[in-house]
Amino acid sequence: MNIMHILLSWQMVGALLTFFIFSFLFRDNPFYKFAEHLYVGISLGYTIALTWYSTVWPDLFQPLFFSPAAQVGAGQKVLLLIPLLFGLMYFTAFIPRVGWMMRVPMGFIMGWGMGIWIPATVQTTLLKQMQGSLLTPTMLTKWHLLLFGLISLVGVVCSVIYFFFSREQKGALKLASETGIIFLMVGFGASFGYTVMSRMSLLIGRFQFLLRDWLGVIH
Amino acid sequence: MSTEGKTPDLRPPTPSFWQALGRIDRRVIYLVLATVVIVPLIVPLKLMKDVSPRAREVFTAIDNLKDTGRPLMLSVDFDPASLPELYPMLISMIRHAFARNIKVIVLGLWPNGTGLGQQALNQAAGEYSKQDGVDYVFLGYKAGVDAVILGLGENIKAVFPKDGNGRALDSLPMMASIRKLADIGFIVSLSAGTPGYADWLLYAQSRYKARMAAGSTAVQAADAYPYLQTGQLTGLLAGMKGAAEYEFMVSQHGFSKAKMTAAPAMDPQSLAHLAIILLVIIGNIGFFADRRRGKA
Repeated sequence: MNIMHILLSWQMVGALLTFFIFSFLFRDNPFYKFAEHLYVGISLGYTIALTWYSTVWPDLFQPLFFSPAAQVGAGQKVLLLIPLLFGLMYFTAFIPRVGWMMRVPMGFIMGWGMGIWIPATVQTTLLKQMQGSLLTPTMLTKWHLLLFGLISLVGVVCSVIYFFFSREQKGALKLASETGIIFLMVGFGASFGYTVMSRMSLLIGRFQFLLRDWLGVIH
Repeated sequence: MSTEGKTPDLRPPTPSFWQALGRIDRRVIYLVLATVVIVPLIVPLKLMKDVSPRAREVFTAIDNLKDTGRPLMLSVDFDPASLPELYPMLISMIRHAFARNIKVIVLGLWPNGTGLGQQALNQAAGEYSKQDGVDYVFLGYKAGVDAVILGLGENIKAVFPKDGNGRALDSLPMMASIRKLADIGFIVSLSAGTPGYADWLLYAQSRYKARMAAGSTAVQAADAYPYLQTGQLTGLLAGMKGAAEYEFMVSQHGFSKAKMTAAPAMDPQSLAHLAIILLVIIGNIGFFADRRRGKA
């Protein structure tokens, strides 16, 4: 890789911004702040442009104002006025006198969101997970399935008992609660271990970029 | 002898060797980590030799699509910040599908990641001489996560009347027989947070019984395991290790000759983990030495 590529390429820009971000390890500084603000600005700008061209324009403005009646009927256009009106109501947040109007689309979003989210969540994360914690006949077919099934069952019951505050935790309740703490700690440990792995992966990714894509030291 | 006029020694007592272990300068730790990451990247140790059952299940599920003739749907639910962990998964899966003549649909629930999906498709399509609209379709991004997934379950063309390049979906040969999620063979959400695999589980899997797997960042992986036990997820690729495993399998089966990026990263990953374990042990020795001296 020649020196011109190293100094005059988009990889050089990426490398420079990487060093700006890494400089935070020393202390907060203007170079870090510049790179941070640049990232936030570009991300937001990109999101706004993409949302406009992929959703707002083709799904709302184009059919409502720029499509012939043969393509989009009057009834459909009236229906499209509702999301337009709801969208505009969000901007009333900037006018204190009519700011209350923002609550209308927010109420709609919350009502619609909860309506579809609650049954789906109960089904996916509560009922299915409870079902998964039970011992089933298939677990008796192999000893390791039975062992893991038992561990899982004990872990779930004891962890739930740890968060049971309606009775003083003593005797059997205390024993189960303390067993629950052990399971919770193992869970936190696994999460922390994975977090370390994730952060290391990002560091490796940056070094791969610097050494391979920019400097060409590794292939 | 008089001590008058002498200032008392206010310096903190010199820490013992064991106490000093708990007070290592953070710059030394940065240097150690940089070394254990850079050296194995330049001098590979080739530690990557094994594949977890979870990754193998994802590979098998995608491989079996060859027999059903159904397409693979990949949801790019990440942005460039998670690129080292999730992009190798994305491109390896596309390569695997193309090598087995499985059709691929790519879409994104994260606006900033959509371009990465298109980049991976274009790169792999060039390697396998695949045709846009015939062998693969890039749907692009659409705002409204829950509504998008629910809409795909009813009618894909109603949610994405046009593909990411502005062509009507009705005009694409590949989409002639694909109307809704039920026509998709397997879904993989490459997820770095919310929206991500959890949303696909809530709506696509739970409501429309879609078969799916998750490729997640390592941070999210611990939360995904319960869904494996219940069979809601068919498999899981966890972080860069998951990406490395998939790359490794695609390469081992001869489906790709492209240079791997995640598999060689397992050398620095392993050494960095070893360094961190040692630092945790050293830190704890220092902590207990400090406590012991405090009691004394």
